[in-house]
Amino acid sequence: MAEKKKATTKKTETKKVAPVKQEVKKQAAAASTAAPAKTTAGSTTQQEARIGVFICHCGTNIAGSMDIPAVEEYAKTIPNVAYVDNYKYMCSMPGQAVIAKAIKENKLTGVVVSACSPRLHEPTFRTATKEAGLNPFRFEMANIREQNSWVHMHDREGSTEKAKDAIRIAVAKASLLQDLFPKTVPVEKAAMVVGAGVAGMQAALDLAAAGIKTYLIESDMSIGGRMSQLDKTFPTLDCSQCILTPKMVDVGRSSNIELMTWSEVHEVEGYIGNFDVTIRKKARGVMTPKEAEAKGIVGGGCNGCGDCETACPVIKPNEFEVGMKPRKAIYINHPQVVPLLYTIDFNSCVKCGICVTACGPEKKAINLEAQDEFVKVKVGTVILATGYDIFPIENKQEWGYKRYENVITSLEFERLICASGPTGGHLIRPSDGETPKRVAFVLCAGSRDNTGIGKPYCSRFCCMYSLKHAHQIIEKIPGCIPYIFYMDIRSFGKMYEEFYYRIQDEGAKFIRGRVANILEDPKTKNLHVMADDTLLDRPIDMEVDLVVLAAAVQPKEDTNRTRKLFGVSCSQDGWLLEAHPKLNPCGTTTAGVFLAGVCQGPKDIPDTVASAEGAASAASIPIHKGEVELEPYFATCIEEKCAGCGMCVNLCPYSALALVEKDGRTVMQVTEAKCKGCGTCGGFCPGGAIWMNHFTTPQIVAQIDAFLLGGEQ
Amino acid sequence: MSESGAKHKFAFYLGCIAPNRYPGVESASIKAMNKLGVELVPLKGASCCPAPGAFGSIDLSVFYAMAARNLVLAEQMKMDIALVCNGCYKSIWEVNHKLKHNKDLRDAVNEVLKEVDMEYKGTINVYHTAELLYNDKFIGVDKVRDSVTNPLTGARIAVHYGCHLTKPHKDREFEKEVMLNTEHPIWMEELVAAIGATPVEYRNKMQCCGAGGGVRGYDIVHSLDITNEKLINLEEVKVDALTDICPFCQLQFDRGQIEIQEKFGVKHSIPVLHFAELLGLAQGMSPQDLGLDLHGISCESFLQKVL
Repeated sequence: MAEKKKATTKKTETKKVAPVKQEVKKQAAAASTAAPAKTTAGSTTQQEARIGVFICHCGTNIAGSMDIPAVEEYAKTIPNVAYVDNYKYMCSMPGQAVIAKAIKENKLTGVVVSACSPRLHEPTFRTATKEAGLNPFRFEMANIREQNSWVHMHDREGSTEKAKDAIRIAVAKASLLQDLFPKTVPVEKAAMVVGAGVAGMQAALDLAAAGIKTYLIESDMSIGGRMSQLDKTFPTLDCSQCILTPKMVDVGRSSNIELMTWSEVHEVEGYIGNFDVTIRKKARGVMTPKEAEAKGIVGGGCNGCGDCETACPVIKPNEFEVGMKPRKAIYINHPQVVPLLYTIDFNSCVKCGICVTACGPEKKAINLEAQDEFVKVKVGTVILATGYDIFPIENKQEWGYKRYENVITSLEFERLICASGPTGGHLIRPSDGETPKRVAFVLCAGSRDNTGIGKPYCSRFCCMYSLKHAHQIIEKIPGCIPYIFYMDIRSFGKMYEEFYYRIQDEGAKFIRGRVANILEDPKTKNLHVMADDTLLDRPIDMEVDLVVLAAAVQPKEDTNRTRKLFGVSCSQDGWLLEAHPKLNPCGTTTAGVFLAGVCQGPKDIPDTVASAEGAASAASIPIHKGEVELEPYFATCIEEKCAGCGMCVNLCPYSALALVEKDGRTVMQVTEAKCKGCGTCGGFCPGGAIWMNHFTTPQIVAQIDAFLLGGEQ
Repeated sequence: MSESGAKHKFAFYLGCIAPNRYPGVESASIKAMNKLGVELVPLKGASCCPAPGAFGSIDLSVFYAMAARNLVLAEQMKMDIALVCNGCYKSIWEVNHKLKHNKDLRDAVNEVLKEVDMEYKGTINVYHTAELLYNDKFIGVDKVRDSVTNPLTGARIAVHYGCHLTKPHKDREFEKEVMLNTEHPIWMEELVAAIGATPVEYRNKMQCCGAGGGVRGYDIVHSLDITNEKLINLEEVKVDALTDICPFCQLQFDRGQIEIQEKFGVKHSIPVLHFAELLGLAQGMSPQDLGLDLHGISCESFLQKVL
């Protein structure tokens, strides 16, 4: 076969350059220039393959569904198999010892463990292989659990046969495996945190405290995020701003944090340890004192006096107040902004220049002709803390949000009940400004909704904040009764259940039933809440003065852009996807990129802060280590075959390939540190000039042969 | 199924109430649709749809088989079905949808149809005429507006959508693709505005007429109570007429007003017209052509306003 010939050629090549392999590690920094052959060195491939097969019972997980002795007997008949054994738990210390002993005693050249998914125990068995003196990449796993015994639990014969196939295929690959050596690359001693809500702020503070230079990027004018919009927090009822502002001030003061508000990540290149990030500083139109000084305006720049805002003639709704309070075209969106720096909304600014006059000739802080600026930074790791959006609850038309004036969202409630909000903390009915006496809270508004309109997931904090809202109206408005329409109250956190009982005792009424429909009385603008009381088993038509919808949360609108920028995935429901939901909740599929807070899925404040601290810790590890090891699965170019067509360069999803001039020819070159070994280029190359380490054409062809020929050569 | 350029042809499924109680709905549909480039060809030999509440709640196999027979008749004509009633839509559209997607059910139905030498093949689609009027793919609001010769200017008209056309919204494809709104739709109001009238919003617009789902047959008092509530809500906003797209809803609102007076002693007098009848009026058909004198509640006050 043609492929086999290719393999032979390759082997000879690799043997010639074998001694270079020790240098590879040292040359890590010059990763991109390493020639393909250097890293595929494998002097032992020439000798006869001697493969050990180790079959795991996994208790009864595997052994309960198949005939292990039959599989074992079969394995002994597979070509190149020199040793076969089985053990109850191959991953246990004694199990690993079985492998190590067999490698030494039988001079094995390759190891096949047939057990669970490689995602689970590949590292374990690689280490065991390495400890017994064999290159760890000579280990191959045959998954006979997740893809076999678990799914064919009641087909003993079928699963036994499938296990035989899986092992035969794994042995075919193991026979052709070569020694590989992971590369190391140095790590830039700086990090970037995207999003400066409570998650991003906490992560940045932790990184900064660990001595790491941290760039904190926020697209809004101030840090603080959603938490700064909240009035009080549950279950402690402390003022949200009071506990947040000290952190905001710390962020502003920290010498290790370079804060960039009104800025967005524009472009990301590179890989773990060496991300080159371009940040777009959106035109703000207002200079900081520092910027003014750099321009030679001594004592100039914005001091936050607000003269410009007073003078500005343009009035717009303030987004921070959910549109319930006006702002100007030059503004700060609330009094506690960090940094205290005015911003011009150039979408509504008419450039009349009145603010420039108001600012005066000393400060000269305003520049109406400001343009976006691009800043480049280099960081070793990145934390995404981009937060969430509120589900557009008007899509649930049966509740009439935006149709009925007295139906509001919980975020609007937060602003209305907050002393610094548009009404100075007086809860009013938007229709007539009256104080409501009966308030209905609709929980799971758009959450846990399988109609296809809302979100199927639980938004996790609405139950608790609605309990808090109930408490707040009982406390602030004597005689006002909160009616809470719920499916079930999810008070899962520390002291949450106790808080639930407390609100019950305070007099909140709980009605178990989803709200089917809300109708407005056209005359009084009161609302009729129609629901089914599932505890009393009867329909209800309750007239109330105000309805508060605990709207679901959803991924940020620009999540897709974030995903593409950083090469991370998202789950079915659109939240950014962690590397493992249980065991690697902060990591992502892109090395060096971590997640914090709600961008990964709904979290309340304690969980958000915990996740941020976790992400900060995870992101600081590679930085403190100083270097990272990369899996040696990268593509390499066989230069004599490469025609320099460049097809692969366009295909590569990681921008790891480039065309270079070499000895008067154009050939492709791989930046190994960027390559993820996905194989897109290798599968496509019309000239067969790309060699995928650990997934070589001969190895894959051998696997296919082993499967199709059923072991007959 | 439509050939571009040529007139859209549909097999016209009449149902039971329209031809027997409100013949104007039948004549107005055929004539008005014809002016809009849609030819409604009678679906000969059709039976009851069958009624979703009365049959669907009691014997599903009869329900499927009877609806499938009507579908096969249209398949034999090689035409999509157009109909004027939400109840018929529920039965015929939904059975068509289910049979297309469920092979076991299709086989079982075909076993029954074999007795009358028929086979359901799943080659046609089912549309409500209101859907054809609104959807640009067939007619569209603009064409409806252009066809009007006698705009119903000044008339305050409220819309009753009826339940089965819009729900369950998960299944209703046209709802998803064209009208995009189930809980508080306004596409019928757009049509009402297109014929020159003023659409009026009212309290609890999406509530059932009271008749559907077998309620009328099972508990007439309860059924009329629901209708009465809707009529009160309509009077609150002073409408000149109520329009519907379902003869069963029309029957409930129209003759229901007489029953309400008998049973509860409450007098309403709101004219109730199928949208096809309104469209007929707007296109210049006379009240006599539309058989409006056959309505239980006199349409005189309304007609005086618009004619």
